[in-house]
Amino acid sequence: MADRRLFPLGWDAANDLEKDPGLVPDPAEVELPDALRTAIVAAMARYPDSHSAALPALASAQKVHGWCSPLAIHQTAAVMQVTPAYLSSVATFYDMLRTEPGADRYVFVCTSVACHLRNAKAVYDAIAEEARDQDLQGVDLREFECLGACDMAPMASIDGRYVGPLEESDAHELVSAVKEKREVLPGRGLDDPGYRLPWNA
Amino acid sequence: MARPELKQVTFEIDGREISAAEGTMLVDAAKNGDVEIPFFCYEPKLGAPVGACRMCLVEIEGVPKLQTSCSTPIRDGMVVNTTSERVKKAQEAVVEFLLVNHPLDCPVCDKGGECPLQDISYGWGGGKSRFIEPKRHFRKPLELSPLVAIDRERCILCYRCVRFSQEIAEDYQLVFLERGDHTYVGTHDGRPYVAPFSGNILELCPVGALTSTAYRFRARPWDIEQAGSVCTLCPSQCNLSFTIRDDAKVLRVLARDNHEVDDGWLCDKGRFGYEAIHSPERVRAPMVRDGGTLREVSWDRALADAAGALKKAGAHTAALAGGATTNEEAFLLAHLLREGLGSPHLDSRAGGALSPEQLRVLARPDLSARVSDIDHADVVLVVETELVDESPILDLRVRKAARRNGAKVVTLTSRPSSLDRNADATVRFAPGAAEAALSALASELGSPRASGSRLHSRAGAEPGMIGTAAEAMRDAGDVVILWGERAAQGARAGQAVDALLAVAAALGVADKPESGLIEVPTETNARGIREAGVAPGLAPGLTEAPHEGMGAAATADALSAGDLSALLLLNTDPLAGYPERGAWEAALESATSVVAFSEFVTPGLEEHATVVFPSESNAEREGTVTHPDGRIQRVRQAIGLQGEVRSGWRVLAELAERCGAGLDVLSAPQVFAAMVAATPFLEGLTLEEVGGLGVRWADRDSAARLGEAAMPDGALEQPPELPEGLRLGAVPSLWAGPEAQHSPSLRFLVPEQRAELAPVDAHRIGVSSGDEVEVSAEGNSVRAKVALRHGVQPGSVFLLAGTARDNATALTDGVPRSVEVRRAAGGDRVPLAAAAAPAPGAETPPT
Amino acid sequence: MPETKVLTANLHEPDLHKLETYERLGGYASARKAALDMPQDKVLEELEASGLRGRGGAGFSMGKKASFIPKGAMDKYLCCNADESEPGTFKDRLLMQKNPHLLVEGCIIGAIAAGANKAFIFIRGEYEVQATILDAAVEEARSAGYLGPGIFGSDFDLDLVVHRGQGAYICGEESALLDALEGKRGNPRLKPPFPANQGLYQGPTLINNVETLCNTPAIIEKGADWFKGMGVDKSTGTKLVSVSGNVKRPGNYEIELGVSVREIIFDIAGGPHEGREVKAFFPGGSSAPVLTADSLDEPYTFEAMAEAGSMLGSGAIIVVDDAQPIVPLALRLAEFYRHESCGKCVPCREGTNWTVKTLERIEEGEATPMDLEIMSEVQENIIGNCLCVLGDSMAMPIGSMIKHFRGEFEEHIEGARADKDREAMPAFGAGELAAAAEAGPT
Repeated sequence: MADRRLFPLGWDAANDLEKDPGLVPDPAEVELPDALRTAIVAAMARYPDSHSAALPALASAQKVHGWCSPLAIHQTAAVMQVTPAYLSSVATFYDMLRTEPGADRYVFVCTSVACHLRNAKAVYDAIAEEARDQDLQGVDLREFECLGACDMAPMASIDGRYVGPLEESDAHELVSAVKEKREVLPGRGLDDPGYRLPWNA
Repeated sequence: MARPELKQVTFEIDGREISAAEGTMLVDAAKNGDVEIPFFCYEPKLGAPVGACRMCLVEIEGVPKLQTSCSTPIRDGMVVNTTSERVKKAQEAVVEFLLVNHPLDCPVCDKGGECPLQDISYGWGGGKSRFIEPKRHFRKPLELSPLVAIDRERCILCYRCVRFSQEIAEDYQLVFLERGDHTYVGTHDGRPYVAPFSGNILELCPVGALTSTAYRFRARPWDIEQAGSVCTLCPSQCNLSFTIRDDAKVLRVLARDNHEVDDGWLCDKGRFGYEAIHSPERVRAPMVRDGGTLREVSWDRALADAAGALKKAGAHTAALAGGATTNEEAFLLAHLLREGLGSPHLDSRAGGALSPEQLRVLARPDLSARVSDIDHADVVLVVETELVDESPILDLRVRKAARRNGAKVVTLTSRPSSLDRNADATVRFAPGAAEAALSALASELGSPRASGSRLHSRAGAEPGMIGTAAEAMRDAGDVVILWGERAAQGARAGQAVDALLAVAAALGVADKPESGLIEVPTETNARGIREAGVAPGLAPGLTEAPHEGMGAAATADALSAGDLSALLLLNTDPLAGYPERGAWEAALESATSVVAFSEFVTPGLEEHATVVFPSESNAEREGTVTHPDGRIQRVRQAIGLQGEVRSGWRVLAELAERCGAGLDVLSAPQVFAAMVAATPFLEGLTLEEVGGLGVRWADRDSAARLGEAAMPDGALEQPPELPEGLRLGAVPSLWAGPEAQHSPSLRFLVPEQRAELAPVDAHRIGVSSGDEVEVSAEGNSVRAKVALRHGVQPGSVFLLAGTARDNATALTDGVPRSVEVRRAAGGDRVPLAAAAAPAPGAETPPT
Repeated sequence: MPETKVLTANLHEPDLHKLETYERLGGYASARKAALDMPQDKVLEELEASGLRGRGGAGFSMGKKASFIPKGAMDKYLCCNADESEPGTFKDRLLMQKNPHLLVEGCIIGAIAAGANKAFIFIRGEYEVQATILDAAVEEARSAGYLGPGIFGSDFDLDLVVHRGQGAYICGEESALLDALEGKRGNPRLKPPFPANQGLYQGPTLINNVETLCNTPAIIEKGADWFKGMGVDKSTGTKLVSVSGNVKRPGNYEIELGVSVREIIFDIAGGPHEGREVKAFFPGGSSAPVLTADSLDEPYTFEAMAEAGSMLGSGAIIVVDDAQPIVPLALRLAEFYRHESCGKCVPCREGTNWTVKTLERIEEGEATPMDLEIMSEVQENIIGNCLCVLGDSMAMPIGSMIKHFRGEFEEHIEGARADKDREAMPAFGAGELAAAAEAGPT
């Protein structure tokens, strides 16, 4: 995944004048998976104002499409009856909504202040190197800001499953497990049965 | 709700005691004390302040932190300091932060010399930069749309352009993408920002980030002058300012804020249509038909030919006026016809003839609303008009009323309206059945005039929808009714207006000073032209003419039948804008002489005109026009006459002279004076009084001289039954006229014909989106591409009127007509050019 | 052990997240009492009298905040701020994961206090596990009639929705949270108007942190006086403290407000690793200015931390030991705030960016002492000039680091520059000079 710090997306891009403008899609002209439509409609029904469903709707679209692709956003816009730009603007604001292709899973390694104090950068570097060595594909691996688990620092979230404390030596097994879609570091997940921090064991 | 009354409060700023209306933001109130507070993001026209730029921080006694003066309403006794050390330090800090990533390319920036960032940096900045890191660099300029270029290096993320898109135009196409210092202005998936009002962001931008592709690098601020006038490209008649160079060339059009007319906005047609002024295709010299084609000739020859033909036809002459015809020109045209030729056959209404009595009722001051009444209305009822195409600036006004003041919006249209999303109630009826829909609404509102049976079914509307609409309006305070000329078309135009008046009466608009009707005509100056005497049976001032005349539809028939022989066309072409194109083709074919005034050789003129006089463009014309709400406004000459163009009033006066009805006028103001003298309700009006912002004649004492015009009170007629089958509606497009065709920048917006169908009908016919179809009725047909529309009522099909090819007017006669739609021969699927044909209702945003 | 377990008393219970267990331990009695036996005023009174202060960061009186909500018939809302994103903070995660019904019950009491019929828990999207647990708890409570129309058989309706964020620190700022909940970019709003008057969907809205709401059931059950009996002065009750960084036993610990920082760091969390000393600590999350070992004996209260020049904030103590260099820490901190700045207002957007760039140069040995002065002034120029507190949240701790560790910054600048020069010299010397020598005089 491109480092947005170095290569801000879109900034250098002109609009494509051959494309149609991004109006609210006419529902008569947009097809989408039933499951996605159902999820979005259900989300809209939960709130006094259906616009509140933007985040859950985009999350659902991301689940179906792997990322918030232009098509995913277009489909969501057709159901929500908003402009695709409304949703693009929202999607690009939030770290967990992917607006670039290439991954439908994630490994977020926390390198924020508390993890930083416990060697997180080295752990991330080891994982990143391992990911290169093992040619890990389809996974959004990045340094992430504080994940709210500084007790288990340094740690990572693998598709929502928190594991830690991590050491550089865990990188190989972590990446292998992710690659092979196995459970990562069994017993070391925050919600694993009987999980305890090492110093409380 | 009535307009709020504001109390004055007194406060102290920089040691000065000043007062301003309660609720005024500090940044504005400060001006009353000659205190200038710098700002970038603040723009009251854009709604609630955002407080993003932090430039306007001030110190308020008793408040520990500095406050943004753009968001702080003044309070009695408040003590404000804008020059303290703390404030200065904050101002210098903000300027320094702003310049951190702003390139210093002022010498090559279009904004240079008229740039708020430049001015504020000099005025309030610290004068030095300590930022030595590399600045952001990007490719520039980039195309945001064919009309607007974006320079992201210069952007200071002030929110103005995106707020305009989201909260004013509500097209919600322009947004912030990404976050933090990566934030940038853009659209979804690199789509162009194409929307009817996109050009306003050029004027809102406080730096050189958004520039006009058409104006870029054409001039520096010191090369140019501004000349105020009024746009005559649509009935909105927005106030504008031409940026001109050397008194000869229009380089740009800017808005000229008139709260009573436009709120300071312009549509893109008004902003970029100026290019047509300098189009090489303009008629620049008079022409006569010679050997079947039009050929340029001398003025003497053209005037002699025209005068000869008109004199010969005499009372067998008819005239149509339209477009940007000024009141003065209309007055002279009526004079020429009635006094010079003895003909009473004048019209300017494509829709269908209304009685003189009805026209007087519609002009009654107590029944007419002013534009700014929309702002404070409790209910805005929109009847059979698509404002964004027919009077764009009113579309913004209705959105503003709904968004800012919570006005209820009720749409009563055959085609889905772009305002539906803002509407509290929506009524869909069959195209052409406005009379029945209005009768049904009058009935639901409890009008004593309501009669007739099965009105909902005659309207082709769901009964519940009309009930809901009536419910939304019942017991409303102030009501403004915006009704389209299209509601009153064809043979039953009068009955439709009658039903409209019954609705107005049931809502009690005559008794409420801030309630009333505003017509949305198809022609820019429809009201002024009519009031100057161009209407069958009406002399200037809506007074009874000595002879009844034929309206447009009758004129066409009479020309074909040989009862009339000459036709004078003043800035109009019946083949483009009038229904029954077939009838008009026959009429023009039969006419012995067709004398036309026009800026461009339009299809009807190309084929049939015998003499063509070049018309002035908007920027060359001098005169007055009348807004649909009765505001008389001055159109001012900004540049010299192009080519051999002569003023329309001068040519008409010359023709009148040659036809034996000389008026002895030497200037447009003299014609104005003559017109005022002939118009009782304008008594005593002078151009000085009209001034730069116009004057509504209904607000003058002279309005009483309109004369008696009683509201009709008899039972409404029974509207006819609907025809079976798919019913055709012809709808206008903002971009279908010649201005878009002849302005290079706008040409990409010129629409191709497309047939909007409900999915269920398309399925039945066996066509899908993008398929080419043939729509036909009574032997005529037009080709179109299918566009599926969720909101189109089954049984309706809509085509565009006014397109250069395949104009829907080939099929329309103003009343409900059923058509056949079938797949065209060889009509394979072709991608739909959606840019040119925005979906109805699709421009609106989430609210 | 100076731990005092109130909020965390039952966390060891197996299956506490199930309604059955929670009720067996006395759960929902307070919410029932508030719904059936206490007028709204009484609930407000009790909360205000308890002295309970917001546990999210600002420390404003919870009862007072609730009393600002206008009375009368209109749509009002309760929003629970479960966006716990302040670096160093992980206490709400524990409560939600282990004891979700406590939060649901707290939301019911908060909603009754505010007169709100619609409540939302805005939970950060990263807490996927906890959100799922909460969803299940809400569903159980709804089935039991504790949520929905006429809760507990009263005439009070309450709907509760768990709303997942999607990754943005700024959504912890209450007005940004509202925008995010309305389906927009999470940009903070201009204040006034305050959420109590115009919040979610323009309606009056009470916003409280998870821990704050979790305190309310016990207050309703045992009364304000019981609660005030814990803690000191204006810092009443217990506090769940997240201790992280360079200590032996990072974790969540519940203490009575008023125990000393030293007790928390050393006695409870085990203190720094062998041979290390406390160099500095953030007493209330990474937005709190750092304090040095000199402040270790201060009592851990809202007042004392403010007096010491920092704040209690979210109650997250991040300990920095003497092996940690200050420059990389400052850089990491600034990077966080640059990444999380929403970009709406100028001083924060440009100031965080500028600070990061300067720190990068300092780190890389390309800075001069002048840069330190400029950076210090940039922090001053940010503070107080931003739309929300995010800018200050970087500028205050960075400013405090410069203040406490100016010498180390200067040494680093000099040292790194010298290193850089040394790195550059041999290359020149070995290459160019040797070549020049070989070429000989010309």
